Amino acid sequence: MAHAATGSSEQYNYDIIRKFTLMALVWGLLGMSVGVYIASELAWPFLNLDIPQITFGRLRPVHTTLVIFGFGGSALFATSYYVVQRTCQTRLYSDMLATFTFWGWQLAVGLGALSYMLGHTQSREYAEFEWPIDLLIAVVWVAYFWVYVQTLKRRSQPHIYVANWFYMAFILATAILHIFNNLAVPVDLFSMKSYSLFSGVQDAMTQWWYGHNAVGFFLTAAFLGMMYYFVPKQAGRPVYSYRLSIVHFWALSFLYMWVGAHHLHWTALPDWTSTLAATFSIMLLLPSWGGMINGIMTLSGAWEKLRTDPIMLFLITALSFYGMSTFEGPMMSLKSVNALSHYTDWTIGHVHSGALGWVAMVSFGSFYHLIPRLYDTRLYSTRLVYVHFWLATIGILLYITSMWVAGIFQGLMLRSFDEFGSLAYTFVETVAFLHKPYVVRALGGAFFVSGVVVMAYNALMTLRKARVEAAELEAKLAAKMARA
Amino acid sequence: MSEEKAKTQGAVQTTGHAWDGDLQEFNNPLPAWWLWAFYGTVLFAVVYWIFYPAWPVGTGYTTGVMNDVTFVDSDGKKMTTHWNTRALLLKEMQEGEEAQLTRKYLDRIDKAGFAEILGDAELMAFTRSYAKGVFGDNCAPCHGAGGTGVIGLFPNLADDDWLWGGTPQDIHQTITHGRYGFMPAFGEALSDQQIDDVADYVLSLSGHDVDGAAAARGQQVFQTEVGGCYYCHTHAATGLKSQGSANLTDRIWTIADVPGARTAEARHAAVRRVIEKGVQRRMPAWSDRLDPAQIKLLTVYVHELGGGQ
Repeated sequence: MAHAATGSSEQYNYDIIRKFTLMALVWGLLGMSVGVYIASELAWPFLNLDIPQITFGRLRPVHTTLVIFGFGGSALFATSYYVVQRTCQTRLYSDMLATFTFWGWQLAVGLGALSYMLGHTQSREYAEFEWPIDLLIAVVWVAYFWVYVQTLKRRSQPHIYVANWFYMAFILATAILHIFNNLAVPVDLFSMKSYSLFSGVQDAMTQWWYGHNAVGFFLTAAFLGMMYYFVPKQAGRPVYSYRLSIVHFWALSFLYMWVGAHHLHWTALPDWTSTLAATFSIMLLLPSWGGMINGIMTLSGAWEKLRTDPIMLFLITALSFYGMSTFEGPMMSLKSVNALSHYTDWTIGHVHSGALGWVAMVSFGSFYHLIPRLYDTRLYSTRLVYVHFWLATIGILLYITSMWVAGIFQGLMLRSFDEFGSLAYTFVETVAFLHKPYVVRALGGAFFVSGVVVMAYNALMTLRKARVEAAELEAKLAAKMARA
Repeated sequence: MSEEKAKTQGAVQTTGHAWDGDLQEFNNPLPAWWLWAFYGTVLFAVVYWIFYPAWPVGTGYTTGVMNDVTFVDSDGKKMTTHWNTRALLLKEMQEGEEAQLTRKYLDRIDKAGFAEILGDAELMAFTRSYAKGVFGDNCAPCHGAGGTGVIGLFPNLADDDWLWGGTPQDIHQTITHGRYGFMPAFGEALSDQQIDDVADYVLSLSGHDVDGAAAARGQQVFQTEVGGCYYCHTHAATGLKSQGSANLTDRIWTIADVPGARTAEARHAAVRRVIEKGVQRRMPAWSDRLDPAQIKLLTVYVHELGGGQ
């Protein structure tokens, strides 16, 4: 492998990938730490410390923005630029444009987080960026789209590899979602404040069309693209089924767009809209699972790799969590289940089984594959990869189970009656119940973050090793030259 | 694994394409269980669409078949409509087991006076059950789940002391229209010395050990036009219900945190601060937010929390 990578620094643009990978780790560490802090604020509210900038309300979008767009986004830029170059056997279309996407994206994420702390927000979940930052994101995204398409066009392969379909769907859908959900009128040119073009239930509908497809295309389709490259690559085996990849790709892309309204069951939304959202969510189950089947079955016949290769362990565990949360999702989208689960922490648990279990785990696995190749060396420590794996897995399990307990029991408390037909619990009694699950959740988060710290250390030591090796090689070459 | 075996899995061939060196794809057929399960979910959706409102058509939508919901509208008219969540809610609120049970009691509450409710064990049990939620969701944020309040901010409803009166009628008035508790700030009107003296006098009223000479001077301020404290607190310093002014002779404190003060100096400072800064407290009117039955039940509940009069 090593020789291939050496040659590739001219053949491929690796510099941009290194930058995005590094920033993914930085945002990941920062964003997940903020997550642990706000989880702790919910368990121990004094941690708000009466400082407006760090109260839960402001830090929550900081957390989601840093982990989804900072960590997840940078991981997707990094891996998509890597995958598109390697599977097209061509260099990235424009170094300059690619560099622009890097600085533009980092700027948007950083400015976003700062502006939330200062109190500027559109109050649209996962789209809290106010209009100036939205415009910046739109420009960066168009540049990203252009770099990607032009690179695909310059491929020296007749066929486009499946991973690229998923990345392409992600880039296109995200552009549409971002633009339509953020149609807003600024109060004036020098004001951060803007008002949405939509109002009432249409506004809510647009927001959740965006919100759920951010999950669908940003956090699912794109990471499936990542999976389709790194799982067969790491396993050294062909993808299980080409046919399945086509069918589930189109089914997933078509069905996802319909399901956002399941976030608005039992609201002012018309009943027919609710029905469509619920039924399309159910139909989405198997297309979602197509990716899991294709990933896990790729390993069939080589299961022993799970015993010897911790990177494979990350990837396959990610697929298992993916399968679990894409089963849980359609179930929660049924109106009767949703009546219990909505507005409780079950939703938070569900999101994190996807976000930690799938998105983060598949990214970690891919990074462990990617980083040594980017620096033409071997990983500093395989043992530390195992340590990271177990810290992450324990963290996720604590997180999900505590949120199931919190959500299901709060849901049941809110709907229980006493012998006089009165509601048995006041709202605040259900909140008091949440304290213990919240403590366990914060603990789970701390486990998960400590895993990322281990990973960052491992990555840094790998970098250092690469530098030393490069210097040694240089010295050897120089000595040889001198002898000659 | 040998090269030969890697290319095929049983009889299945790869598609023949290769990317990035060794990336290939088998051409396995769709797993049968996967395909049939997918068809199953499609069938589920189609059946769902037949029986429930589902597809927009023109300005309307398909309403679904065999899904009539019958309920009584606000005019008492019987209405039948296709399945929809609003009709279901109305029906549930009329015919639901809990709703009927509650309504049975609410009808009795509606007809009964306060004395009757207070004397009826069953109605009191219902009151505790029903008003616990109303109190917990509306009053507890300020007064606390047990109604004990916060000294300096929100009155304690669980003691025997009532600023605005403790009869059911008084409490009912308080909840319905809200209250505005006001005492002027004397920081500008009186000298520091005078404020210190009045504080000592006020503390002496409830039997605290203070400098007698200072208290005597304070009494002069309190009981004459100099301070005019007696306008609201009365000459006996027992307070005036119509003003919501505190009784200063009992050992119950609602603004100055005297019970929380460890030393005589801290006690003095707590009382002094109130005289200097005055009081502005507001309880909102609930008549627009709670219905008459809820206010009535809440009245009885609060009456029972403390020593109602």
